[in-house]
Amino acid sequence: MKYLGLEYITVIAGFLLLIVGLWGIISQKNIIKMIISFSIIDTSIHLLLVAIGFIRNRTAPIIDSSVDKLKAADQITDPLPQALVLTAIVIGIGITGLMLTYALKLYRQNKSLEINQYKSLKW
Amino acid sequence: MVNPIYIIAILLGSAFLIGLFQKKEKGLAGILSVLALAFAVFVSVSWFIHFTSGQQEVLQIFTGGARPPFAINLQMGLEESLFTMVINVLGLLGFIYLYRDFREEGIKGSVIFLVLMMAMNVLIMTRDIFNIFVFLEVASIATAGLLYLKKDFRSSAAGFKYLIAVGVISSFLLIGIGFFYLHSGTLNIDTYLQSNPTAVKGISMAIFLILIAIILELKPFPANGWALDVYQAAHPGISAMISSGTATASIYLLYKLLPLSSNDWTPYLIAIGLITFVGSNILGIAQKNGNRLLGYSSIGQIGFMLTILGLAPRLGEHFHFIFLSIFISHFLAKAGLFWISGIVQKQNIKEWSVLRKNSLLLFMFGFFILTLIGFPPFPSFYGKWQLIMELAQQRFFILIVAILAGSFFEGLYLFRWFGKVMKGEEEKENSLVIKWEKILPPVLFTIFAVIASYFLNNASEYGHSLNLIPIYFIILLFLLDFLPAWIKNSLVITAMVIYSVRLYPLIADDSLRLIFAGIFMLGGILTLFAGYSIKGKRAGFFPFAVMMYAGLMGLIEAENLFQFFFSWELMTLGSYILILRGKKSLIHAFNYMLFSLGGAYLIFIGIALSYFGHHSMDLNILSSSTMPGWSYSLLAIGFLTKTAALGLHIWLPGAHAEAESDVSPMVSGILLKGGVFGLILLFLLMGAEQSEQHTLLYVLGWLGALTALVGNLLAVFQEDAKRLLAYSSVGNLGYILFALAFMTNVGWLTALTYSINHFLFKTLLFLAIGGVVMRVKTHKMYEMGGLIKQMPWSFIAVLIGIITLAGIPPLAGYAGKWLFYNAVITKGWYFQGALVFFSGTIAFLYCFKLIYSIFLGQPKDKFRKVKEVPIWYIIPQAVLIIGIMIFSARPDLILKPLGNMLAQSNYFPTDPLSWENVTASTNLGYWSGYKIMLVIGVMFVILLLWLMLMSRKAQKIKQFNIVYAGERPFKPETTHFSHNMFSHYYKALGFLSLPLATGFWNGVNSVTHQVADSTRRIYTGNGQTYIIHILIYILIVYMLMF
Amino acid sequence: MKILKNSILLVLLGFMTWMLFNLYKDYDSRDTLNDTARYYAEKGPDETGAANLVTSVVVTYRGLDTLGEVTILFLVSAIIGLLLKTENGTRKTAMRASSEFMITAAKLLIPMISLIGVYIFVNGHLTPGGGFQGGAILASTFILLLISISRNKIGHKVLELTEALSGLSFVLIGILGVILAAGFLDNKILGTGTFGSLLSAGAIPIIYSLIGLKVGAELSTIILELNQVQGKED
Repeated sequence: MKYLGLEYITVIAGFLLLIVGLWGIISQKNIIKMIISFSIIDTSIHLLLVAIGFIRNRTAPIIDSSVDKLKAADQITDPLPQALVLTAIVIGIGITGLMLTYALKLYRQNKSLEINQYKSLKW
Repeated sequence: MVNPIYIIAILLGSAFLIGLFQKKEKGLAGILSVLALAFAVFVSVSWFIHFTSGQQEVLQIFTGGARPPFAINLQMGLEESLFTMVINVLGLLGFIYLYRDFREEGIKGSVIFLVLMMAMNVLIMTRDIFNIFVFLEVASIATAGLLYLKKDFRSSAAGFKYLIAVGVISSFLLIGIGFFYLHSGTLNIDTYLQSNPTAVKGISMAIFLILIAIILELKPFPANGWALDVYQAAHPGISAMISSGTATASIYLLYKLLPLSSNDWTPYLIAIGLITFVGSNILGIAQKNGNRLLGYSSIGQIGFMLTILGLAPRLGEHFHFIFLSIFISHFLAKAGLFWISGIVQKQNIKEWSVLRKNSLLLFMFGFFILTLIGFPPFPSFYGKWQLIMELAQQRFFILIVAILAGSFFEGLYLFRWFGKVMKGEEEKENSLVIKWEKILPPVLFTIFAVIASYFLNNASEYGHSLNLIPIYFIILLFLLDFLPAWIKNSLVITAMVIYSVRLYPLIADDSLRLIFAGIFMLGGILTLFAGYSIKGKRAGFFPFAVMMYAGLMGLIEAENLFQFFFSWELMTLGSYILILRGKKSLIHAFNYMLFSLGGAYLIFIGIALSYFGHHSMDLNILSSSTMPGWSYSLLAIGFLTKTAALGLHIWLPGAHAEAESDVSPMVSGILLKGGVFGLILLFLLMGAEQSEQHTLLYVLGWLGALTALVGNLLAVFQEDAKRLLAYSSVGNLGYILFALAFMTNVGWLTALTYSINHFLFKTLLFLAIGGVVMRVKTHKMYEMGGLIKQMPWSFIAVLIGIITLAGIPPLAGYAGKWLFYNAVITKGWYFQGALVFFSGTIAFLYCFKLIYSIFLGQPKDKFRKVKEVPIWYIIPQAVLIIGIMIFSARPDLILKPLGNMLAQSNYFPTDPLSWENVTASTNLGYWSGYKIMLVIGVMFVILLLWLMLMSRKAQKIKQFNIVYAGERPFKPETTHFSHNMFSHYYKALGFLSLPLATGFWNGVNSVTHQVADSTRRIYTGNGQTYIIHILIYILIVYMLMF
Repeated sequence: MKILKNSILLVLLGFMTWMLFNLYKDYDSRDTLNDTARYYAEKGPDETGAANLVTSVVVTYRGLDTLGEVTILFLVSAIIGLLLKTENGTRKTAMRASSEFMITAAKLLIPMISLIGVYIFVNGHLTPGGGFQGGAILASTFILLLISISRNKIGHKVLELTEALSGLSFVLIGILGVILAAGFLDNKILGTGTFGSLLSAGAIPIIYSLIGLKVGAELSTIILELNQVQGKED
């Protein structure tokens, strides 16, 4: 058994949320709930990415009074995954927004938010 | 050179700039977009030229002021320049195509389009994994956004399903990227590859997630329902971008990322690709919606490319050629077809027959369909050939079978579609709305495909050995199609004469080839003469007639198997279109194509099997096949589809009977000999020494005998004159097969005599009957009768024809029979011989029916005024009759050199015919065509004189100089003597004519359809099901791999 | 039937968990920076002049990603406009008027919140935060504006103009990087200045400000589009 530090908890939580999100996407018939599930998946990935960049007992990658500029490499966590998370969040927002728009459009056209009402394209 | 980063900057900058524009400036927005896209084309083309003109050094483009792996870098090399070039060209043309839609639906559409193009360019050039993720998302969002062009709610539903599916896929991609960074410490592809990666479990799994996500983006069967819905729902102009553009970028991504993995993806990619290729194409069979069908085909083709990608390590230096050939065909054809779909604006493929209103569109449609199927000389043919041969060399026989099966299914639905467009029910609407910007892109892509074919032909291993002059001539004929028919006919006849003259010295020593060349060329010229009787343009006839004859001549000239197969396919294609031209021949031409396609693929496999272990494509490698049983059987079955052996014959009667009057003799008298020539070539090269060959020949002998019996029997029961002749051809080809299978000197002489005879009399009969049918406008014999007065010449021609056919002395048919008895007795195949003899007797029955029902008996009222057939039908008939006479009187002119050749060239040295002037003799007896002719001639004259003497006092009676005793029957034609003429024979032998073969093939057909129809129900249309498919797909591949 | 379906889903998710567990098994916490991160830590401050290393990565080293990101928001706002526009031509909002409390509070808060937003993206190279965060805060003022004072004062046009101009400038600065410095989106087209001061880190503050404005405008557009459609619903 590994030592259960913050990063491990984050990774486990990330994976669990991922499963929860996947469950929601494949089992919830309501389109809005599906979109929420998608957001949960998104969040779980952000957690994973943050955990990947985390190093115990270190501070944020900003050179200020608490970080010595010359010894920064030994004092800060990895800045790259944090940058990736930032990008991923924005992309997630974009996709979620678009999904919601489609949901809105579907609802306005058909007055239904059940995914299994939209099966006219098949086979 | 312009830095490729400007492609991105300009495309994105223009997109932002257009965001500033107001509605009234939409013209300006359009111009700006076109300029930006043209700039992208310019940059990528200039780099492509730069790299193809010998420059090797790959350009690295750095961003962010640091070197990789710390900053993102892009790369521009030969591959990148090629792929950005094709994508940008597609983008420019795709935008022009959509221009009007964007104008009408708001200028923001062009913003999305420009961003999509930018994203695809980055995807191809970038070397950073996370950057790939970002721009994949950009591309997906842009694609989902472009669905707005179609306003029905189905496209919104498709858009939502697409977004959810892509969202889940990219989540896995992002997890993979995160863990990749965790384990490797970099996001840069090149840095990782240089760091001598070791297979840590963690990183291999991360890479697995990345690769599987990219593969899922490529829509593998069956986890691709979301993509199919988009293909169906999107505006066709957008589907073109997805199918040709996004897919191209994704497959290049996969190619770029594959080296990351230390796992061997080869078997997985091959399996994924093949399952997708075969699966999609099977499902396509049951599909009626044009756009969705194109989606299936698209996915199938991408699967095929995945397979090739997986095979890359095995294909070595040939990989690039093969991949490019398949890729470029898919790229051009699929975009072109989607664009045409946008012009047609029809859902059901039946309604696509509206394309007939515009010959340019029709031509392009056919062109793209054939490009997809891979007929020569279309680009994908070269790659497919090379691929199959390489696979054979490495003993991947199962792969060959799977690939060709997938291709066959694809051919099946594409040809069905093609047929419906060409011959389906006429659409009521008056015209297609065609705007210039919609027609320009497919036209350019057609031209690009022609150029691609040219380059691929030059680059292919055996392409330089091809004789391309006929192909150029065919292209010329397409361009000259606006001329009147008689000019084009003269042009073609002249060309064929010139060609024959040029060819003669090359094959003068080879009597075998000379005979077949004579049949093909002389027959071609003669049958073309009949075409002079047709007024107007006869659009689209001559290119395909030439294509068929060029294919036939190519068979003769072929020095290697590549040329042979190329010509074989060319011949098939040309003849298919000729047959399709008939009024009611839609289903028959389709059957013909299916059997031909299947046969061609069997031949293909046969060639591949023979090629195994050799290093040349020479024809001689057939004589040393390492798998004789398989390769010879497959080749033989392949050729037998063309000669319509029993079981494979069901396409023939309809195809020959329903063809146009002058096409029937072409495809019957002449085209069938192509198959015979193939068999002869095969038998000569394979020899009869080994036990496998013995068995094969024995089986073929039986098959020939049974074909003869059933073919002739079925001919007897026909009421349709042309169908009767067609069935008779089946029987005659059975004789030829039977005699060839002897593999003795006399046996082969028999077969060749039969071939020559069949050519002469069947061409003659089809011309004569075709002429009659043209005049009386019916095929039914009991509706004719008494035409001898109106058409005395046709009567004589048919008389001569049936005398030859039935083998009655003194004409050449008898020569065949005499040789045949000798051969049977020498060989000792008595029982089969008896069967064939019996079927020869049956031939008398239908010969009688033919001449009696049509020309003798009571003339019908409505045909009292019909005229003799046109002179253009009579001329070739006269020539053929002269040919029959010469061959009957002096068979030695042809048979002697032929026999000598067979004897001397070590093929069949034993028991030849010995000739003394015009008398041939064997151990069993002698025969002289000349003397028989004299004797019979004298007898005929004496009898004729005697008859005239006796009938001096005879009184001529008018037709109605009789007394009616009963009442008038309800259906007078049923009382006609020749209606159901041989019903009493049917009671006795009818069981032999049950349509067993037809039933069998119908069964195969319906099973295939049912499988397709039930399998495609996995695409329930529910977005969640699609996600479940994706998850299961990931898990299965994961479990197989780890 | 439902039980069957649910148990299939359960099995599927079970396998999924097992697959992810295998991924987790190989996860180990890190105790050092890898080469890439070490480079950012050691060379980053001097190369880019930014104290916030995440910002230096986001804006400079991985500037192309950020460009893609901004493009995504831009795309989404454009697409939403198109998708919702094609459906109904007329747009009318039919919300009831805001209360006096709301309006007063908004008048008080909007300038302050805006100021915070601007502060966050201007100082993106020094302190936590940056263009995206600042932009999001700016957009939140817009929401406030929308639900309190006025629905039409800040029109579409202003937002579109901000969006397009800032995007265009972003690309132009990127191109300047090719011409004046070492490559696309290189921030050293301006001097790096004194480390830790507001006017330092080359073009980063400018780029981040542009991003802030752009993100703010884009998110606002999205909200506006969705709001207008919602308003029509009865």
